[in-house]
Amino acid sequence: MDIVPWSVAAPVIGAAFLASLVEVVEAFTIVLAVKTLRGWRPAALGTLAAIAVLGLLIVLLGPLLELAPLHGLQLVVGVLLLLFGMGWLRKAILRSAGIIPLHDEDAIFASQSAQLASASRQTSLDWIGGLTAFKAVLLEGLEVVFIVIAVGSGRGLLWPAAAGALAACMVILAIGILVHKPLARVPENTLKFGVGVMLSAFGVFWTGEGLGVPWPGQDLALLVFAAVFLCAGLATASILRRAPLEVRS
Amino acid sequence: MSLIVEVAKELLGMFLADAVLTMTTLVLVAIVACLIVGLHVDPLVGGGLLFVGSLLTVVGAVVREARRQSAS
Repeated sequence: MDIVPWSVAAPVIGAAFLASLVEVVEAFTIVLAVKTLRGWRPAALGTLAAIAVLGLLIVLLGPLLELAPLHGLQLVVGVLLLLFGMGWLRKAILRSAGIIPLHDEDAIFASQSAQLASASRQTSLDWIGGLTAFKAVLLEGLEVVFIVIAVGSGRGLLWPAAAGALAACMVILAIGILVHKPLARVPENTLKFGVGVMLSAFGVFWTGEGLGVPWPGQDLALLVFAAVFLCAGLATASILRRAPLEVRS
Repeated sequence: MSLIVEVAKELLGMFLADAVLTMTTLVLVAIVACLIVGLHVDPLVGGGLLFVGSLLTVVGAVVREARRQSAS
């Protein structure tokens, strides 16, 4: 088995870890709301069922990825990463500039709790709580699966990327068990900013590789792309914060 | 059934959060692909165009949304 250089594996593991951290925090908030109102059983059952579905998806999709030609795979994954990463970066810049509100885990927890409490008045079945946890973990988990596949498949680094995502799950689970309340103090927009930057950089890199671009410095070009995306994002947010745009008539 | 619809919406939303951003990105990639594969332009030039174009696309999308928000 080839040993992957740390300079190649680190950005992949880092991107998968940080992106998964954001998604797991969002899923955790909803699972915690279910646990608080309906008990640990529906919360755990819904979560485990969603993890099983996600696992099945990975088992089914994994072998298909190995059959795809590398350049074609890099191009498709690169374009999807560009769309996904730049979408995250756009939103993070807008939040950082104060144009759209920050993601508020406390508010989401309160809203989910209110919805569950209202459903509880209509029926006492735990399956509503279980389904809520299932949906939250499935929907956020789909993004994690995509990110792991996207950042890992271009260089055959699916396992290191999956390890990064798993580490994020473990970290949030451990913190969640200790704190036992919504993880509102996680600097979610800062993380999303960083992840948007990294995914956009990966997107440019893989799309270029898929089209046969010989990037100077090879994998180190990724770091340059990330640095430029970061500077451009921070500068745009700073300019918008200081001088809100005038509307053209 | 509604769960499948929600999953489909989530998947689409991952890539189509901003329709103009999505379209601009796809057009940019198509142009770069035409230049490199069709017109045999130096791939590095195409790569540079892809990188700069992506930067301008995301900054443009932010500015457009900021304008839209301040108008409403």
